[in-house]
Amino acid sequence: MIITKPTCTIDGQKFEFTAGESMLEVARRNDIAIPTLCHDPRLDPAGACRSCLVEIEGQRRLLPSCATKATDGASFQTKSERVEKHRKTLFSLYLTDHADEDSEGGQHRGAPNKLAGASKKFGAENWGKLTNLRDEIAGDRSADVNPYIQYDSDLCILCAKCTRYCDEVEAVSAITLVGRGSETAIATPDSRSLLDTTCELCGGCVAVCPTGAMGEKKPKTRNQPIESELKKVRTTCNYCGVGCQFDFNVDPDGRDGLGEVVKVTSPDATPNQNMDLPAGFSGVSSDGNLCVKGRFGYDFVHHEERLTTPLVRGADGDLHPATWDEAFDAAIAGLEKVSAKYGDDSLAFVSSARCTIEENFLVQKVSRVAFGTNNVHQCAAT
Amino acid sequence: MTNSIREIRDADFLFVIGSNTSEAHPIIAMEMKRAVRRGATLIVADPRAIWLTTIADDHMQIKPGTDVWLLNAMAHVIINEDLTDKKFVAEHTEGFEAVRDAVQDYTPEEAEKMCGVSAELIRRTARSYATTRKAGIYYTLGITEHSHGTDNVYALANLVLLTGHLGGPSMGLNPLRGQNNVQGANDAGASPIYYPGYQRVDDTESQAKFEKLWKRDLSPDPGLNLNEMMKAAGDQIRAFFVMGEDILLSEPNVLALEERMNRVEFVVLQDIFPNETLRYADVVFPAGNFAEKEGVFVNSERRMQRVRKAVNPPGEARADWEILLELGRRASAKRNLDPSVWSHQTPAQIFREFSASAPNFAGITHERLDQPTPDGFSGLQWPCKDDQDPGTKYLHEGGVLRGKGLLTAVAYRPSMELPDKDYGLLLSTGRTLYHYNSATQTRRDEGLDAKQSEAFVQIHPRDARKRGIDEGDLVEVKTRRGVIEVAAHVSRQVRPGCIWMSLHFAEARANVLTNDVGDSVTGTAEYKVCAAEITKVNSIEFGHAGLFPGSYFHQSPRGAAADSEAGVLEEETQEN
Repeated sequence: MIITKPTCTIDGQKFEFTAGESMLEVARRNDIAIPTLCHDPRLDPAGACRSCLVEIEGQRRLLPSCATKATDGASFQTKSERVEKHRKTLFSLYLTDHADEDSEGGQHRGAPNKLAGASKKFGAENWGKLTNLRDEIAGDRSADVNPYIQYDSDLCILCAKCTRYCDEVEAVSAITLVGRGSETAIATPDSRSLLDTTCELCGGCVAVCPTGAMGEKKPKTRNQPIESELKKVRTTCNYCGVGCQFDFNVDPDGRDGLGEVVKVTSPDATPNQNMDLPAGFSGVSSDGNLCVKGRFGYDFVHHEERLTTPLVRGADGDLHPATWDEAFDAAIAGLEKVSAKYGDDSLAFVSSARCTIEENFLVQKVSRVAFGTNNVHQCAAT
Repeated sequence: MTNSIREIRDADFLFVIGSNTSEAHPIIAMEMKRAVRRGATLIVADPRAIWLTTIADDHMQIKPGTDVWLLNAMAHVIINEDLTDKKFVAEHTEGFEAVRDAVQDYTPEEAEKMCGVSAELIRRTARSYATTRKAGIYYTLGITEHSHGTDNVYALANLVLLTGHLGGPSMGLNPLRGQNNVQGANDAGASPIYYPGYQRVDDTESQAKFEKLWKRDLSPDPGLNLNEMMKAAGDQIRAFFVMGEDILLSEPNVLALEERMNRVEFVVLQDIFPNETLRYADVVFPAGNFAEKEGVFVNSERRMQRVRKAVNPPGEARADWEILLELGRRASAKRNLDPSVWSHQTPAQIFREFSASAPNFAGITHERLDQPTPDGFSGLQWPCKDDQDPGTKYLHEGGVLRGKGLLTAVAYRPSMELPDKDYGLLLSTGRTLYHYNSATQTRRDEGLDAKQSEAFVQIHPRDARKRGIDEGDLVEVKTRRGVIEVAAHVSRQVRPGCIWMSLHFAEARANVLTNDVGDSVTGTAEYKVCAAEITKVNSIEFGHAGLFPGSYFHQSPRGAAADSEAGVLEEETQEN
């Protein structure tokens, strides 16, 4: 018996798929672009933003490809005239009921806005501004005393990606959709400050927001450059042992050219096309998720209390600034003196689980090779 | 971890013991939440009602330090109800008879008396664990930070071996590493008994290999472990080199350590911030933080991942590896040793020397870590033996690595210091979501500090009432080793008779209180159990409801008052 995989036809081309895959997933896997705003592989499909609608043979209405499973023999169009017309209308509606996103070239200091690019691409037109009725429900979230996260109802398209992330991934359900119809907004119960809810300030809502309605306060309050002007450096978080991957967003001209970390963003959860990943895999084992410490706890990097010069304790009993040469000489002389008096095993080297593997390797090498003792252990051992 | 983080979401049974995962490892907790949402069974064994217990099927609110009782009783049920994986036990383990005999006395009914967990729940959990194929155990320092921490781990390993939950996806025995590079620090040989890659210093073959590599004679005598070093400070140990740790905040029983440090003749400190240890330093090297250097961290699932330089360090500060290379070079020259072993130019070269020296890492280089890897994630999981090896998702596939898994009979030993008539409460310590260890990094962030700015001690309402303590009162926490002042948080999160503190706050150092007795094998100190007493100092007001973690469980009256204050503040700002 020959088992054949089911197939479906997209824009006239036949593709195999695995049972359970959505039409969107099949299309994306085969490099067929379908716009989405509310879809995220980590979340259950919601079909909320309507931008991924496709024309399916035999169906009277356009259907969201994210929430429609591919079926054997199905055929659908992603670029038909009807689909194109729908997209133009949809994004025009979004533009009309939305703040002027050109204010900063479609970029916000908090988070980038994907709506601007999509609107341009599909030839959407602004049909004149609507009065925003959401503010009344949402309240003025800029007054929220929480230090990190800000909601701007003017930019919100109510795709509920943030509330779904909060429910399904972080599972604290701190924010929710409140109100009805045109007065619907994202808010906390009783419009409380996020600090007084179950919110753990993970910032996942900011990371998934397609329009920048959920924004970061820190870069805004500090008036730092917008995201497109920043250099992204992929690195590993320095807190716990999960090893989340994130991007430092660096202003290369900051701190007189030394470079300044402006914010931290998580890697896009959408699979990297070049990596041929199974659906839903993001290319990092942390799945693009971060906690409050990883996403927001980077102020220490450039903190004013950093040690910036070597110090050597003088005859007066105080620590004094010194040159590196003086510091190395003093350190080696001091350690030598003790080992001459009591032997090499009177020295102890405490290494750090916070430093890199190379540095831990070097500490044990300094201990064993330069000073001849096995008295070396890393700090997390007790 | 024997298994990988991504496998957790597909597990059908999760046994989380001694791990406050959602606060200490939030992203691993997200995987657990995902599994539970899918329908997996979650059992949490923890003395406190932590966040995870709110979504758990059952919470075993165990008395601190009685884990061996609980785990042996589970083994008792699994063996006596014939739920073992007989084929796995016969083919892949040794020592079954000893464990079978040893656990006979550990009946669930007796365990209930010792641990405070119902016999019925112990039975149900044991059966459910044994009969679910994709069943993983996850633990952290609640298991290991005991004078019998090694016994706890053996008892957990017994459960895994008895049921054969090893060598497949979404199962195994998974210690969640507490720090970004604990795994890497051990892998790199920052250990008194191991060279890089767990090659013993007293093994002549390994010794010869590293003598050849480093061009000098090496000592075959194992060194002191960290706990021993701290106790020998001022006696055998007369000089310290300390990199990236605040020993006077993080080590147990710090007042005794401070006294001993006075007799230490020379201290070199290498760090990014001034800290408590700085008071004893003779020379201070200013180092670069992780945003300022290249390198590799190894996470909990043995995954080596790149750290990349994003910005330059401030002032004269230098990356730790640069300082260490220079120190090694200069010290070697002074001692007439061959300085050529310090000739590296980049972290990539240092890493290559490291990985080439150990078979399990031999296939890993910076160049490979910078490429997308076959499993689609960044980084490589060791063992990775050559440049074609894709790395290892889970260990022990097709049989236990050491040949036969050793079942080890363990007997319950009480913690070294238990409550008595002078010190009537049992103190445990741990971490919270908003701060990290000695908090030199997190307390410098205004937001994290706003969410949790002060130290606190959690105490059960019954114990608080007996002592006349109200929510928010300033109290004195006292043990045989020291005393600190801290705010009281009256909460049912802790068991009656138990109190809990976080270790983050320099002005209320929990480690003034903790017991420095170490595990006999590892030297890991008993941070989780000591006897303490609390007395009220005076009543003070607190500003913000967000002060305490866990306030989402039991909003206190005073917390509610603070709520409305925050509301008023909000309105005022709006008017302005």
